[in-house]
Amino acid sequence: MPRAHDNAPGSGGAYWMLIPAVAFTVILIGLPFLYTIYLSLHQFVFGKDALFNAGRNYLLMLQDRLFWNGLWVTLLLYLISLALQMAFGLYLGMLLDRSVWGRGLLRTILISPFVMPSVVVGMMWLVILDPSIGAANYLLESLALPRSTWLASPLLVVPTIALIDTWQWTPFVALIILGGMQVLPIEPYEAASIDGARRWQTFWYITLPLLRPAMITAATLRSVDLLRFFDTIYITTQGGPSNASTTLNIYAFRVGFEFFDIGYASAQMITLLAIVFGAVMAFTQLRRHTL
Amino acid sequence: MPRVRRSICTAGVGILLGALLCASAQAGEFNWKRYQGETITFLSSNHPWANAVLKRQNEFTDLTGVKIRVDTFQEAQMRQRLVTVMQAKSGEVDLYMSLKSREGLQFFNAGWYADLKPLLNDPAATSPAYDFPDLSPALVKGEEYGGKLTGIPLNIEGPVVYSRKDVFDKCKVAPPKTLAEIEDAAKKLKACDGSLTPWVSRGLKSAAPYTFSVFLHNLGGQYLAGGKSNLSSKAGVDALRYYSALLKDYGPPGVVNYTFYQISSLYREGKAAMAFESSNELGSKMEGGARLNDTAITLLPAGPGGSHPTVIGWGLSLSAFSKRQGAAWLFMQWATSKEMQAKLALEGIAPPRASVAGGAEYQRWVKEQPVRQAWVTALGEMARTGTSEVGPNMEQQPAAREAIGDAVNRIILGQATPEQAAAEADKLINQLLEKEKK
Repeated sequence: MPRAHDNAPGSGGAYWMLIPAVAFTVILIGLPFLYTIYLSLHQFVFGKDALFNAGRNYLLMLQDRLFWNGLWVTLLLYLISLALQMAFGLYLGMLLDRSVWGRGLLRTILISPFVMPSVVVGMMWLVILDPSIGAANYLLESLALPRSTWLASPLLVVPTIALIDTWQWTPFVALIILGGMQVLPIEPYEAASIDGARRWQTFWYITLPLLRPAMITAATLRSVDLLRFFDTIYITTQGGPSNASTTLNIYAFRVGFEFFDIGYASAQMITLLAIVFGAVMAFTQLRRHTL
Repeated sequence: MPRVRRSICTAGVGILLGALLCASAQAGEFNWKRYQGETITFLSSNHPWANAVLKRQNEFTDLTGVKIRVDTFQEAQMRQRLVTVMQAKSGEVDLYMSLKSREGLQFFNAGWYADLKPLLNDPAATSPAYDFPDLSPALVKGEEYGGKLTGIPLNIEGPVVYSRKDVFDKCKVAPPKTLAEIEDAAKKLKACDGSLTPWVSRGLKSAAPYTFSVFLHNLGGQYLAGGKSNLSSKAGVDALRYYSALLKDYGPPGVVNYTFYQISSLYREGKAAMAFESSNELGSKMEGGARLNDTAITLLPAGPGGSHPTVIGWGLSLSAFSKRQGAAWLFMQWATSKEMQAKLALEGIAPPRASVAGGAEYQRWVKEQPVRQAWVTALGEMARTGTSEVGPNMEQQPAAREAIGDAVNRIILGQATPEQAAAEADKLINQLLEKEKK
């Protein structure tokens, strides 16, 4: 007797349609990943032959203070940026959901930062935050506030970069939240209104829980980017001043492509990949428990 | 039959003479069209030389029939693209710009440069008008490794001091004549005009060694001694202390992130009294004309160790893996010919050819503005007395330069004393030297 699913889409006859996607994944993702693992197990400097060193790169990494510095900066930047982007993104998303005059234009203006290339964003903020001739210090001075060295201060560089990234990517988070807002059911709000719930109670007990899946999605997507933070830092500070903004990605990039020690850089990138993967798994588990 | 024999002999001599004349005529012409129809790829850095030459690339195609595909990147990105291509031994790139003072030893040891001597010595490959000996011997020496010629010098450049004559006059401060007098002059300028930055130079750690090196050498220091890093010597510590103190006490806020474009912007806008930056930045600093008449250009004043300005030059190199070396060599000859360099010289590209530097047209261009004369004088002195040592002479020079720049940063930020920073840099550099020996 034929089974119900024999002729359904996705049944044996249609698996061949997956070949292009599988081939793409294997060739452009799988093979480079395996090659990176291979490189990480070798002492390999550009221009010389690769020598197998049985994971010595990983041991060196654990003894390398710049690796730990990079890990610390990565995590600090990640936590500050994620917290700010989720908070502001939530607020902005809810704001964009409101019916106000010119909502379409407002949405276009508010989401424009994240469509700008990161290099342009970096160059723009580099000029704005220049301690001598930048607009930021001019503004501070006109408000009788002390000038700041912004990106040149070891203490302020990470929060400053977090603010730049927040300016650029909050709209992205807001769009995801907006999408979540627009599919929220009306009934719980009606019930809350009838029960006399205040606005903050409605927000805290109804909106936030219902928006949790969208927020976790936004946090997952931003986490992948934030843990691999590179372009804005490379444009503005190149990891300075004195490694204060050198994330793991920046450090690995410089080791590989400026100092040409591709074996060691590969070990660091595999480590970073493990961290990113761990974060994604954690959020995926959180999302499962939420649904 | 004597008449017939005479006629045959005469005809034979005539034919022989005609053949000889044809041969000599052909030997006098150089066949620029030999590789007509080929396409070569040039990996270029976003550099004033490249920008000036590539505006004219159609002239090369008209002359030779060879098309040229250009990939232009910022210096760091160009290098990153280059190493991935060369590591793969790919013939994708035929020609590239290379800074031998930075990567020469590493790239030579990796076998990435083609030796140009066989091409230079081949009359069929090299135009008789090329005149290779006209190129500066010092710069040519910088392009030689292991007896091989790895590139053709494109320009000459090094850090010079751009200073505001009007500010010095207004504040009644004498321009510094010795290294030590710079600090004194900066102090007086700061007291006179608090709105101006008395002194600015490179603080970005990857860029700082270029300007720091002059301080080290003028104070009598060397990067290496006995095969080991020597920054902890008295001269090394003094150089780190002095260079960092000038930036910290008299430099602009945020100087640890400063490289050439911030320095040029600050100077051009009239916000710096002295800027110690590359001679290549003349055009950028003079843009708009505001600084044309109030700028003096000199080398960094001499110190206890004498005057040893840093002088480097970009070179144009041929890939060892290129499959179009003949066509690429034509481009190299055209781009570094007397005619081309004479044109580039009028656009502010300091010529590495003696005939161009001494030529009437170039001299006329120089005399048009006093600042140009000062620039040329500084470059001439640089060529005579300069050293191309911008970091320890080793394969891992980029990493070593990073350690030096980081030492400068840490002193400016108050994270380490000069002695501590020097010791830390020495430790890192010595580790790299040990690694290279394995």
